[in-house]
Amino acid sequence: MIISYNWLKEYLDIDVDPQELKDILTYAGIEVEAVDNIGKNLDQIKVGLIKDKIKHPNADKLSICHVDTGQETVQVICGAPNCATDQKIAFAGIGTKLQDMKIKKVKLRGVESFGMICSEKELGISENHDGILELPEDAPVGENLSSYLKLKDTCYDVEITPNRPDLLGMIGVARDLAAIRNKKIILPKIELSTSKDKIQNFLTLENFAPKKCTRYTARLIKNVTIKDSPIWLQKRLLAVGLHPINNVVDVTNFVMLEFGHPLHAFDLANIQDKKIVVRMAKENEKFPALDDETYSLTTEDLVIADAERPIALAGIIGGKNSLITKETKDIVIEAANFLYSNIRKTGNRLKISTDSSYRFERDIADDTADIVSRRAAQLILKTAGGELLEGKLDSYPAPQTPKKVKLRQSRIKKVLTIDLSQRQIAAYLEGLGLKLISQKDDEQIFQIPSFRKDLTREIDLIEEIIRLFGYNNVDTHLRSQKIMDRKRFYLRRKLKRIMVENGFSEIRNWSFGDPADLQKMEIQAEDERWKLAKLKNPLGDSFSVMRSTLIPDLLKNARFNFNHGQKDIKTFELNKAYTRDKEQKLATEKFHLSALLSGNSRPIYWKETNQKIDFYEVKGIVEEIISLFPLQDLKYLQSTENYFQQGQAATIQWQKKKIGELGKIDRKIAGKFDLEQDVFILDLDLEKLFSALKTEVHNFQPIPKYPPVLRDLSFIISKKYEFLKIKKEIASVNKTIKKIVLFDEYQGENIDLDKRSLSFSITFSSDTKTLTDEYINKIIKLIIDRLRSKFDIEMR
Amino acid sequence: MQAELDKVYQKARSEIEQAKNIPELLNLKSKYIGKKSLLNKLMKQISSLPKEERPEFGKKLNIAKNKIQELITIRENQIQEIQYKNELKSEAIDVTMPGRKRKIGNLHPITLVMQEIEDIFISMGFDVVEGPDIEDEFHNFDALNTPPDHPARNLSDTFYLDNDILLRTQTSTVQIRTMEKYQPPIKIISPGSCYRNENDATHSPMFHQVEALVVDEGINFVDLRDILNDFVKKMFGDRIQTRFRPHFFPFTEPSAEMDISCVKCFGKGCNLCKGTGWLEMGGAGMVDPNVFEMLKIDPEKYTGYAFGLGIDRIAMVKYNIPDMRMLFENDIRFLKQF
Repeated sequence: MIISYNWLKEYLDIDVDPQELKDILTYAGIEVEAVDNIGKNLDQIKVGLIKDKIKHPNADKLSICHVDTGQETVQVICGAPNCATDQKIAFAGIGTKLQDMKIKKVKLRGVESFGMICSEKELGISENHDGILELPEDAPVGENLSSYLKLKDTCYDVEITPNRPDLLGMIGVARDLAAIRNKKIILPKIELSTSKDKIQNFLTLENFAPKKCTRYTARLIKNVTIKDSPIWLQKRLLAVGLHPINNVVDVTNFVMLEFGHPLHAFDLANIQDKKIVVRMAKENEKFPALDDETYSLTTEDLVIADAERPIALAGIIGGKNSLITKETKDIVIEAANFLYSNIRKTGNRLKISTDSSYRFERDIADDTADIVSRRAAQLILKTAGGELLEGKLDSYPAPQTPKKVKLRQSRIKKVLTIDLSQRQIAAYLEGLGLKLISQKDDEQIFQIPSFRKDLTREIDLIEEIIRLFGYNNVDTHLRSQKIMDRKRFYLRRKLKRIMVENGFSEIRNWSFGDPADLQKMEIQAEDERWKLAKLKNPLGDSFSVMRSTLIPDLLKNARFNFNHGQKDIKTFELNKAYTRDKEQKLATEKFHLSALLSGNSRPIYWKETNQKIDFYEVKGIVEEIISLFPLQDLKYLQSTENYFQQGQAATIQWQKKKIGELGKIDRKIAGKFDLEQDVFILDLDLEKLFSALKTEVHNFQPIPKYPPVLRDLSFIISKKYEFLKIKKEIASVNKTIKKIVLFDEYQGENIDLDKRSLSFSITFSSDTKTLTDEYINKIIKLIIDRLRSKFDIEMR
Repeated sequence: MQAELDKVYQKARSEIEQAKNIPELLNLKSKYIGKKSLLNKLMKQISSLPKEERPEFGKKLNIAKNKIQELITIRENQIQEIQYKNELKSEAIDVTMPGRKRKIGNLHPITLVMQEIEDIFISMGFDVVEGPDIEDEFHNFDALNTPPDHPARNLSDTFYLDNDILLRTQTSTVQIRTMEKYQPPIKIISPGSCYRNENDATHSPMFHQVEALVVDEGINFVDLRDILNDFVKKMFGDRIQTRFRPHFFPFTEPSAEMDISCVKCFGKGCNLCKGTGWLEMGGAGMVDPNVFEMLKIDPEKYTGYAFGLGIDRIAMVKYNIPDMRMLFENDIRFLKQF
């Protein structure tokens, strides 16, 4: 539903601006889904005065006017029949943006025009386009039209929950707001003067379906004049998205939007025998509705009929046979209530949903029927004239007695934790229209108004209290602190999981270390790992320090397992390594992920030949781990550590810092650890990796719309060029190159000793089009040319 | 001519039913119903019949043609089905041969137990906090209500790096560090390595503990007992009972030790519980007001509990591992069982 700020103000002294009101509505449970600022585009429209008007020399229907805009007098061509000298009008000068058009200087049949005199429709304030908008004589020339006519408004598209039909009208919303802001709601004053004639002399009512029509009232107004509604009324309807039709229909819509209770108006002339009959339809009875459809009804459908035929589908839609037309003189105002489930059933079956059925099927109150009937009569008399006959027809088979609900102060405290006095509780609930009947210790009894059928139990009232108090105004009892470093905690777990998924067994060693191991590894003297945390009372020499690297334990453990006949090993340890400077009080404790691989890469399998673990297998795991971290410009450099075999080990560098290493243990060093088979190691400094994880954004990448194209490329190239350099060069050729995969390296027969053959599979794709063969061929040629000039390649 | 038609039809039928493959069938199709077929020949001879017999015979010819077409279609489907079955036969394999295994590794039993404990407490709203292994005496002893001359310092042999720098003997140190940094509410567990200078089948110089600390207004002894009972049931199952025995720890008052009914014999008495029916799980107690005072937490406003559990011990009980040293030997044949 759409709610208008200005309209609400008629019932309530709103002391907040439209922006703030948006939040207040939302916090009250009336969720604002969209906000529309009406009249924002009318800022440039001014009140103008037509100083003189002459006929256009070359066009019968056009006039040349001179308009005083308050600042100057400009010449304007106008085609409206009602434009006249000394008239106050709405003027749009050059440059004004109006709905879809922009006012420019134009020449009409040889005469220049410097602006436009606007109709109501052009201004978007009504549907009227018969002529220009005529403003009252006292309208101040030069003033902004939007402020003069109060055209500016803010409208909220709100979601009303199904339990609150009372909020389907401005007054219902105003009542909630009044209760929240502690204000008084101002209801429209309805005073009616009637003629001496009694309605009973002109119309009769029979209700044959008292269970399905719980209330039916009719009032009769004679001698109305059907015409367009006044601007104030059209403005209200347009603001909330309804199209004005005529004064009587507009009033019924206005009152529905005001009170949330739908009404209908009939033309008395079309009511046969002047008799309104509320009854169930006959099987297959035909009903021609206002929407130009003819519906076939069943005995389940409730209709409003005259002596012969249905004139309305009760609560859902009016009949074409009784609608208000320009010729209508006498009108019947229907204000009724119907069983909600029946409205829903008929609406669903016939697939009709109207503003009226939407409200009736949410179970509204019986007793507002008479109020909206009186209000509609008042406004019709005001806008369409005529005379109201005395009295009303009213069928009210079973008036409801108001419900009473008990509320305990202590219960509020228990559920909501808030302490409210009985006076405060009563103030909140009376604001919502409840009536305090009695109170004693810890117990108040409230009478529920008819329009709040959703309030039946104590807990319902407690919900109202917290809604008005504010969900976010209750004190917090949160008993948690963010002491845990969740990021690091779960990353370590994830790393362990990755290692396990890659076939590694986790090992755990004592944190003690043996300095002799560092010597065996020939770790250089200036290396950090020599800054040992020494124990004063160790278990023995081989446990005399806290270990500064996890590698020796991995090697010793491999020996243990080799000796027990286990030759294929993948082990890892994720644990702390300790170093301690002389001036340090405590120590530096850094988590490392270290792993060892040896033997066959996979268990023996009859379908394939065994493959020994090599450098690239280790590197694959490192790459998998590194891909978790946003490390740009990571470098793999040849390692210079003595314990690695030269040429088969790499240092991993990021931002000029070593973050880890991997490679094959040098055979001589392996010998010192009594290892008789090749062993590979990887070692990552997790502190450095974690520090790279400052931002944890993981943006999803859209799936490409166009299919990828794959092409292979093989060439012979000098060994002096490193793979990465070649790959980067290819990637830089064109942005449609999305993926470059090396699928073969070959050295040997037919290839010079200092050269090798490399084969790449290249994936091309574009976000904007399907790539043609022709296009790909062009790119491939570019790649080959580039590689030829840079690396002197030879195509295979 | 009628007799001839019958003969042709019968012949066609038997030949089609015996066709062995699709090319053969196509030949038969042109032989009997194609342009130069036998039926077509008969069709051409129709003019030799008496006028009144022509429509009748024409009809019969058509029926015969349709029937032959139908027989061909049926046979075609049969041949295709046979061919398909033959194809499948040639593709059949020995389904008893071993499948390709993706060799997945395994976590260390201590890690498994540690993660399970962490997850149980995380689900109960605890934060996991860690601290240094290399500690000072203040966090390991003084702040835990154990002054230098206190006999508790002799209870365990401690590894020292310097006079006042040591390897922590319990992860309670992390509790102190947390209380130094945060005012209550505090609800943490701190898992990690601890060290004591002893080494035998039931004692390792390095072992793993998880300690818990909860400090807030209104925390009481029942909360402590309840949370430990809840934990034990989640960790070991609903059949396991617990009991609390009075004990002494310098930093809790009242202090207790908790036993659980033996996971192997459920209290009847066996070799695991040495006939007692109970296994010792850890120490617990209400935080001593002195500890709060030392850390500038108002002991009148706040109360708290703390407890510690031995992870290695739980792993041994849970997996029925007889010797603690197996946990650190890292025999791959042992590790692969988890």
